[in-house]
Amino acid sequence: MEFYAVNGKKRPIRLCDATRRFAYESLNRKYGLDTLEHRAVDLDGVEGYESMTMLERYDVAIETIVREARIRICENEKLSGAATFGAAIRHGVPARYQGQTICMSISHLTVDFETVLKKGIHHIRKNAEQSLEAHRGTDREPFLKSCLKCLDAFDVWHGRYLDALRDRPEYRANYENLKNVPHKPATNFYEAVQSLWFTFAFLRLCGNWPGIGRIDYLLGDYLKKDLADGRLTLDEAREILAHFFIKGCEWINGKYIGSGDAQHYQNILLCGVDEDGNEVTNEVTYLVLDILEELGISDFPTSVRVNRNTDETLLRRVAEVMRYGGGVLAVYNEELVIDALLRDGYELREARKFANDGCWEVQIPGKTFFTYYPFDSLRLLQQKTLRAYDGTVDFADFESLYRNYIAEIRGEVERIFQSQQKYFEKIGDSPKDWKWVEQIPCTVVSLFEEGCIEKGASYQEGGPVYNLKSPHIGGLADTVNSLYAVKKLVYEEKKLSLRELCEILKKDWEGEEQLRQSVLNRYSYYGNDNDEIDAIAARLLSDFADICVSFNDKCGYRFPAGVSTFGRQIEWAPHRGATPYGRRAGEVLAANCSPTPGTDTNGATAIIRSYCKADLTKLASGAALDIRLLPSSVEGEDGLQALVGLMRGFVLLGGFFMQPDVADAAVLREAQERPEDYRTLSVRVSGWNARFVTLNKEWQDMVIAQNEHV
Amino acid sequence: MHKMNMYNRDNRLRVTEIQRFCMHDGPGIRTTVFLKGCPLRCAWCHNPETQKATAELLFEERRCIGCGACREACAYGVHGGIDRHEIDRQKCRACGACADVCPTHALTLCGKEMSLEEILAEIERDRAFYGENGGVTLSGGEPFLQGRAAIELLRLCRQRGVHTAVETCGYFDEQLLADAVSVTDLFLWDVKDTDGERHRRYTGVSNERILQNLSRADAFGAKIRLRCILVAGVNTDAEHYRRIASLANSLSHLDGVDLIPYHAYGGSKATLLGLADNGRRDWIPTEEQIAEAREMIGR
Repeated sequence: MEFYAVNGKKRPIRLCDATRRFAYESLNRKYGLDTLEHRAVDLDGVEGYESMTMLERYDVAIETIVREARIRICENEKLSGAATFGAAIRHGVPARYQGQTICMSISHLTVDFETVLKKGIHHIRKNAEQSLEAHRGTDREPFLKSCLKCLDAFDVWHGRYLDALRDRPEYRANYENLKNVPHKPATNFYEAVQSLWFTFAFLRLCGNWPGIGRIDYLLGDYLKKDLADGRLTLDEAREILAHFFIKGCEWINGKYIGSGDAQHYQNILLCGVDEDGNEVTNEVTYLVLDILEELGISDFPTSVRVNRNTDETLLRRVAEVMRYGGGVLAVYNEELVIDALLRDGYELREARKFANDGCWEVQIPGKTFFTYYPFDSLRLLQQKTLRAYDGTVDFADFESLYRNYIAEIRGEVERIFQSQQKYFEKIGDSPKDWKWVEQIPCTVVSLFEEGCIEKGASYQEGGPVYNLKSPHIGGLADTVNSLYAVKKLVYEEKKLSLRELCEILKKDWEGEEQLRQSVLNRYSYYGNDNDEIDAIAARLLSDFADICVSFNDKCGYRFPAGVSTFGRQIEWAPHRGATPYGRRAGEVLAANCSPTPGTDTNGATAIIRSYCKADLTKLASGAALDIRLLPSSVEGEDGLQALVGLMRGFVLLGGFFMQPDVADAAVLREAQERPEDYRTLSVRVSGWNARFVTLNKEWQDMVIAQNEHV
Repeated sequence: MHKMNMYNRDNRLRVTEIQRFCMHDGPGIRTTVFLKGCPLRCAWCHNPETQKATAELLFEERRCIGCGACREACAYGVHGGIDRHEIDRQKCRACGACADVCPTHALTLCGKEMSLEEILAEIERDRAFYGENGGVTLSGGEPFLQGRAAIELLRLCRQRGVHTAVETCGYFDEQLLADAVSVTDLFLWDVKDTDGERHRRYTGVSNERILQNLSRADAFGAKIRLRCILVAGVNTDAEHYRRIASLANSLSHLDGVDLIPYHAYGGSKATLLGLADNGRRDWIPTEEQIAEAREMIGR
């Protein structure tokens, strides 16, 4: 039972054999393959289905799901509950009518698990009942009734697990533990973990992909109390918590090749301050790190909130776990993120609660509707400002070109804003008098989002306290490199005119290899700590953020700016022409805030410096930097100190989010050749991790290219 | 003997490369400044481009696209060849005109003279990453071959609160010692061989001065890490290990002993200078040899 490590080192063993076997089997697809065998419930026999509203259909679906879901109790498992429908793995509500999945499910949110743990499901039901009374006779009634139906469904499913466990003496502990939670407040650590897992599993059973959020914040006090009372040892607690992580692997199946099978947005955040400003880091933090280190589970992409005062012991521990590879740990610069949220209008106590959306965009968990709208800034530059090189445009100087480009960015953001208007009805004269039009029913997640029950509005109807629609700029490095090359070639060195350059680009650099090589090699591009080009990046991001902010609250939601490509640089590639900085048309280029592969030659510190020169507090949605490191470069005490130094520097310089991945291009190429030997090798793709062998060839090549140049 | 301290100007250094984010040239994250010129000629040298004290042209053939820009730029007729780029190094004055126009960096001029201010500005760039451990490392070549200026650079780094380390072969003017020790937080001190005769044969110089400087540096209170290269069949014998152990014991401010097993990839760098690849696979020590050395040296 070996758990793969990129650096070839043996992972330490702290968990018992049974737990390790459970992990091994889960990672090797035992439950994921089983889940695929039962994809969804069938609603064909439901009477009057055709005449039902979407919401009524959804309610019937949820009722059927909890009744028909297979109950899965794994050997030796400490936690009960399993999301056993295959359609959920494909981001759908696992219910079909005439062969079609009835609707998509919800992701990109971290729900309010705190209320479940501390007050229980009963509390949520009471709220829903009260709200229904308050909204009787209004158009909010159907939604609130749906809430109660979904809570009933929750009870049915919970009851079925109790029934299944009751008469099995070997699961006595599970039964006793599940009896009170999640309905009542958890009273100890074991109950708390079960409560968290069962609620999470219910959400997933119904197709949704929520993030977990701040697990050490949620569970720390329960463990502290149990340890103090002598109820539990740290080793026992680690076993319990390990089962949470292992059960979270129940969807791994290796079947869906594409952007990877390990991305169900079940993100976790560790460390950082609570709403009063006290550091949260506790025993649970270290247990999570132990578990990630031992089992290498990458399915819960975990991030650590780091600040200037973060303990050296903690950072070293984080670095130790990072070195095994798999991209299991990423880092937020806590102070900067909080500053960004304050700047975007949040109260300090709220801002301090931040978690992420199941990817890396930040949000206040359990209170936030979030969605984002990506666009390719490079394509915009080529198609609009440079009219795809048709030779019709010219600018007197670089400044005019840049201003034209910013106007195009404004146009794009405006288009995104306008595209959202169809989801709103105007109900009054003030600019704020808009009513949300529900897109798809989503009562199950709405139960766990503050504001929904109170307002009687679902997650997608403006129910949550905060509603975010975030424009994301993509292709940052490529755009900045292009602008810089034009500035140098055309306006400073005057080697050729813009029209001449466009002509060359239109021909995809054909017959101009010397110039192309010269442009590619002789300028120092984004990611090399060159102040001149980094200033362009900083300016572009600042201008983009200002444009987004100008749309804030014009229509009942905020419009925070973010930077991302996730993996879109692949799908964008065919639509991109040759770049002024020497790349040919159709190449897969830069990811997120990272430099274009092959253009950075000064190492990780220079990349971080380039990225941090922008004022990232203006990007309240987030701006991720991927850093690739070779296993050999982070070996030994030197390597450990280097990783700690990178994190410290990243915080001091004002980074936002950094995803370091320790991987070796040569090993990845081997895995491409012999996937069967590398089934559990994980890589950081973007906000998520993926088992490398479940990426398709294009994605694999992209990850290899990013690692090639480190 | 080499002329020591060949630079009169105290405020400039001839640099082959400034490498950031170095993790194995001392503690923490470091910026390593490689200086040009070395009094030793180790047969296994990994950085042959740092041996000569003056600037040199490097040529990386695989990057050459045969565009001929160098030929046009060169005033001395250095670049020729028809199917293949050939360089007449006898004619080269290392003026760098070809490197300035080469579109792919196949040609580069190694050994740029930089002012201390320029070097410091580069070092400052990564200050946020140094923390308490990291900092700057002078390497080479032999940093103290550029004596006063190297010491002045270290002094300025120290003054700015940047931790200083020097990777030295130990073969330098003893008059520099007191000052060198006063500005260096950590010496990474190469002891290539403890056998005098072998040292002369494989490095071109006696080790007497090196060992003398080492013990004097220790007397001045220098913190020293010994770095001992292991070259199979050359210095992988028990007697050498015993002498290293006793040398280590003799130092009162020893920071530790690093064993550096020889690897063959330094060889390819020689080809950049138009020299034969000096890499030798039979010099790579086996795991057993490394373990034995570690065991006997006992640190």
